[in-house]
Amino acid sequence: MTTPAKILIVDDDLDLVAMLQLVLERGGYTVTTANDAAHGLRKVESERPDLIVLDVMMPDGDEGFQMVAKLREESEPYFAVVPIIMLTAIHHRTDLRFYPGHGVGTQPTAGYLQVQEFLDKPIDPARLVERVKRELGKAKKT
Amino acid sequence: MNKNGVLPATEELIERIGWLIRLRWVAVVGVALFLEVARRVFVVRLPLGSLYASLAALAIYNLVLTLVFRRFGERPSSGVVQSRGVLRWFLLPAPLESLGHDREALRAAVFANVQITVDLVLLAVILHFAGGIENPFLLFFVFHVIIASILLSRQATYAHATLGLVLISTVALGECWGALAHYPLGGAWRPDAYLDPVLVGAQLSVLGATLYLAAYMGSTIASHLRRREREVVLLSGDLQREAEKLAAAYEQVSRTERAKSQYMRKVAHELRGPLGTIQTALKVLLQGLVGELPDGARDLVARSERRAGELAELTHSLLVLSRAREAAVGGEAAEVELGEFVAGAVAEAQDEAERTGVSLTVARPPEPLLMRGDREGLLQLVGNLVGNALHYTPRGGRVTVSLARAGERARLQVEDSGIGIPAADLPRIFDEFFRASNARERRTDGTGLGLAIVNAVAVQHGGSVHVESEVGRGTRFTVELPLAGAGAQGPAR
Repeated sequence: MTTPAKILIVDDDLDLVAMLQLVLERGGYTVTTANDAAHGLRKVESERPDLIVLDVMMPDGDEGFQMVAKLREESEPYFAVVPIIMLTAIHHRTDLRFYPGHGVGTQPTAGYLQVQEFLDKPIDPARLVERVKRELGKAKKT
Repeated sequence: MNKNGVLPATEELIERIGWLIRLRWVAVVGVALFLEVARRVFVVRLPLGSLYASLAALAIYNLVLTLVFRRFGERPSSGVVQSRGVLRWFLLPAPLESLGHDREALRAAVFANVQITVDLVLLAVILHFAGGIENPFLLFFVFHVIIASILLSRQATYAHATLGLVLISTVALGECWGALAHYPLGGAWRPDAYLDPVLVGAQLSVLGATLYLAAYMGSTIASHLRRREREVVLLSGDLQREAEKLAAAYEQVSRTERAKSQYMRKVAHELRGPLGTIQTALKVLLQGLVGELPDGARDLVARSERRAGELAELTHSLLVLSRAREAAVGGEAAEVELGEFVAGAVAEAQDEAERTGVSLTVARPPEPLLMRGDREGLLQLVGNLVGNALHYTPRGGRVTVSLARAGERARLQVEDSGIGIPAADLPRIFDEFFRASNARERRTDGTGLGLAIVNAVAVQHGGSVHVESEVGRGTRFTVELPLAGAGAQGPAR
């Protein structure tokens, strides 16, 4: 029997973190959490989760993006490939969404954020579980 | 005060002096021509030497005046006038005299006075060498009086009229009494008319009366004109101040509007986070992830989830609306192809159209319609219009969406055969949170922001939206948006 995948949730909304932890544990995953980008980075280093669920985060609305950028810059290959699902509200400027593979007007490809998936709030629990499953499946294949 | 610190009335005076100097050149040419004609055609025996010398004096004098006049424009000196009150009173025309503090005006007035005085003397001299009292041109003294009334004060005008009369009287009486030589015109003129005291007296009296009457009329008219001029100057000063106040007030209103919009955006932004969490919690409950809910509880949770969803819609609409109002669309905006937008919005709405039994068709032009704009705002604009049309059209009805080029603009029309908008509600239909009376009957869950967003987005892009409607027959919305390269882009805010 394989060990359940470990998922890291990083979000400053404590209530939401509690709910998502409940949902993912129900889905059979092991969950660890952090409430800000700094803690999040430390947890990634120390616990090496199989997938990260990351909120865009307040107050500036781009702490999440900064964290992704930092992670992807690290030299170890793990950091470059660990799947990330971002939780977002709709941003003021749609070019912030950085959907990989989607065109946003004249946004150059290099500007795309290196995450695997975006989920809009309010998070639908079933959809979250389904996306996590899908991304973990993809990661296993590579 | 103009930029040199000179009053507009002073500028006028200086300008008129320039005109007088130019006019004098015409006089020089005129007199020269006349002398030539007199010499050749009339063969009058006049002292041409003296006459040409006088003419030369006139020309040289005007040349000097021209040079002096140039310096008036170059070296304006303003500042408090140190002259005595009497001099000012005598020389300056009324408005300048009362405004007072203009050294330049005084200089100009002295200059004008000197000119007119010299002109009078020269005219008297020329007339003396050309027949004296016989010469019909002695009427020309009137011109000088009229010119004085235009340029100078009433007092100075009368003074010059008097001077003119004195000068010609000196010539006429001098010749009559033998103190001065007489140069007869000859020809048809009676050779001894100049000796007849009755005749000379009569001529001088009539001339005198003419000059004083001219002085009176000229001064009166001129003073009326100057008063009006002054009123105009004061009025335009007032107007300028009012315009500035208005501009400041408008700026204030714009700032307030922007502040309101920013506030609305911040509030909506803050509301979203907690709202989203509530929705997720309710979904977790509904999906049975913490155990099955009893029916009653399930019903309540479902209702709550629905209402929370409405709140989320509302806050999202408020955000879109405040964004559309805050920022004009600038040159850095993304390029958008309207046809694709419209087609996309219609495609998304097809499911609902089928469900509600309404036919939904779209017509778009073959060529792309490119504009610079905010994608999300434009999506909202098209989506809201199509959504409204579907919501308010009963089963069996139709909604037609058409997009076409209209010159430098794109014209989007969304027409339905729905319930229509009552005429009384039409003026307010774009107000935020306003819902037409018959709309509320049909659908209780509208936010009332949809059309406010449509209007705000259209205006933000430099376009406009109009509505025509008839209750029971249908509604047509027409949106016009400027296309890329059409010049002006977005309203200045």
